[in-house]
Amino acid sequence: MIEVKNVNKKYGRKQVLKDLSFTAKKGEITCLIGINGVGKTTIMKAIMALTPINGGEILIDGEKIRKDSFEKITFIPDTITMLPQMKIGEAFTFMADFYKSWNPQRAEELLQFFKLDPTERIANLSKGNTAKVNMLLGLALDVDYLLMDEPFSGIDMFSREQIAEVFTSHLIEERGVILTTHEISDIEHLIDKAVLIDNGEVLKEFSVEEVREREGKSVVDVMREVYRG
Amino acid sequence: MTVKFNNRDPVYVQVIRHFKEQIAKGFFEPGQEVPSRRELANQLKINPNTAQRAYKEMEEQGLIFTEGNMPSCITRDEAVLKSVREELIIEAVDLFLGSIKSIDVPLSEVLKLVEKKYEAESGETEESK
Amino acid sequence: MKNYLKLVNFEISRFFKLYLILIGLTFVCQFIRAIIVSKGYMNRADQVMYENQLSVSQYIKEYGTFSFQQFVFSEWFVMPIFFCIAMLMIYVFFIWYRDWFGKNTFIYRLLMLPTERINIYFAKLTAIMLLVLGLIALQILSISIEIQIASSIVPVDFRTHFPFFDEIYNLGIWGWLYPNTFIEFILIYGVGLIFVAVLFTAILFERSYGLKGIFFSIIYGLLSFGFFIVPLVLNGIYSNYFYTLEIFLMELVTSTIVLGSAIWIANYLLKHKIRV
Repeated sequence: MIEVKNVNKKYGRKQVLKDLSFTAKKGEITCLIGINGVGKTTIMKAIMALTPINGGEILIDGEKIRKDSFEKITFIPDTITMLPQMKIGEAFTFMADFYKSWNPQRAEELLQFFKLDPTERIANLSKGNTAKVNMLLGLALDVDYLLMDEPFSGIDMFSREQIAEVFTSHLIEERGVILTTHEISDIEHLIDKAVLIDNGEVLKEFSVEEVREREGKSVVDVMREVYRG
Repeated sequence: MTVKFNNRDPVYVQVIRHFKEQIAKGFFEPGQEVPSRRELANQLKINPNTAQRAYKEMEEQGLIFTEGNMPSCITRDEAVLKSVREELIIEAVDLFLGSIKSIDVPLSEVLKLVEKKYEAESGETEESK
Repeated sequence: MKNYLKLVNFEISRFFKLYLILIGLTFVCQFIRAIIVSKGYMNRADQVMYENQLSVSQYIKEYGTFSFQQFVFSEWFVMPIFFCIAMLMIYVFFIWYRDWFGKNTFIYRLLMLPTERINIYFAKLTAIMLLVLGLIALQILSISIEIQIASSIVPVDFRTHFPFFDEIYNLGIWGWLYPNTFIEFILIYGVGLIFVAVLFTAILFERSYGLKGIFFSIIYGLLSFGFFIVPLVLNGIYSNYFYTLEIFLMELVTSTIVLGSAIWIANYLLKHKIRV
């Protein structure tokens, strides 16, 4: 389980994260929802120690992040995490070199699923394909937790469908996934938990199916209620 | 299998409903193997946890059964199958009654219309066969 | 340890193409100059000898021999060297900033590697040192080739004997780059190492705190420098009070402190304050 506890963060004068808390369990897909600029990406970076926090703590399976944690958790940001001059195959070699949790068969499988050419240079790929490579680099690691920042943004319909396909496959099963998005309606039926964020605070954290059962509301309905009031 | 899910009813409930429909219509045969939790999630494009929940409920309701380590199958129990059919029929009837109640018309006339329509449609299907 | 080595290898391969170009350019400039200067001398010599009907020994008595010094001090020779130094200085900054800017956000990957983040710092530091030492070594090679070139153009009678180490490698800047003793070598390149280490930490201040960070890094840089020269200043003030050995030891202590703090601060910044 990933526990974000009372996290505070200031950027200059602005309080970017205010006493923010939520949890994400392994084996569940947790979605951070909010408009752009509300702090979703910042939270993810904070979990990965890619940006400092001013208060609170973040625990991964009960521990603070250390170097070994990166074999257990990975982050797929909205920018490519490899050198653009590298060929896809070279990126694989790099990952295999540094990560014990790199799974070459899974990488190969994803390469074919996404229909990518390992001899292509990353800099020459289209936006959709770059997003796929980025995702591949994360999914091919046998990690317990995957953090994905806006995996659906800016890519065309078909690529989006491929990515949604990934979410319902064995590639995600049993892992803990935290993803951020601002377009929730497409993927409502895929997620387990929703965390509504506004202005650096958690407005509501709930299990999606429970709310449907108890109140007959969709996530979009809840959002409307919460963001209005 | 592409099922359109609405976002307001719990997905697992909709999955169970879908199964019941398929059983009632005869698309799922008694004793037929059902897809694994993972396969189901992939086919329907849902969260594997939801598929799990649906199967658990269906197991409890007796719609599916699992023998030991074998894959789960649709029940062979006639009583259960019958009640599923009935349940769906009653639902349809309730829906129908709900629609026409507001229209002021005697039951016998409605029933005649239903019979006429039914025969016309089965006639069409007979011809198109 | 293994990860550190992998990272060093990685950093060097990234720069390798540019490095080869740099070396190539330097060699070409210097060889061309070698040819031009040697030929120039010979052409002048031939001309003067022809005009004045001098013999070789007469010419030499009048006009002097061709010594290698003529060309070691020419701009064409030294310029590529300064160019290399400039490039390396730029790379000291670029080696960090390149991973943040442009289409390149590789810093995400570096910081997410399952290794102590300080290894990134060590790897970049090592890469710079290796590149510098590489250039130094290759320069020696280059000079020997140039000597061959000059020798083939200027006949033996015209030349002062081309020595190797003493004459060339003790002149001006060369004395600094190619020290004569091992101790001096350690001292000079040690200082270089400390300098780069402090620069790296200053860069990390900027990357962690932004504009505020530049301010911190300037203060940090000045403090480091100040600390570093304390023994030398003391020696200046109380001249003839300290033995050389004592100054040396004091300097060793202050340098260790400066280097140690550079590393310690870098480690802290990388682990807790860095932002992508």
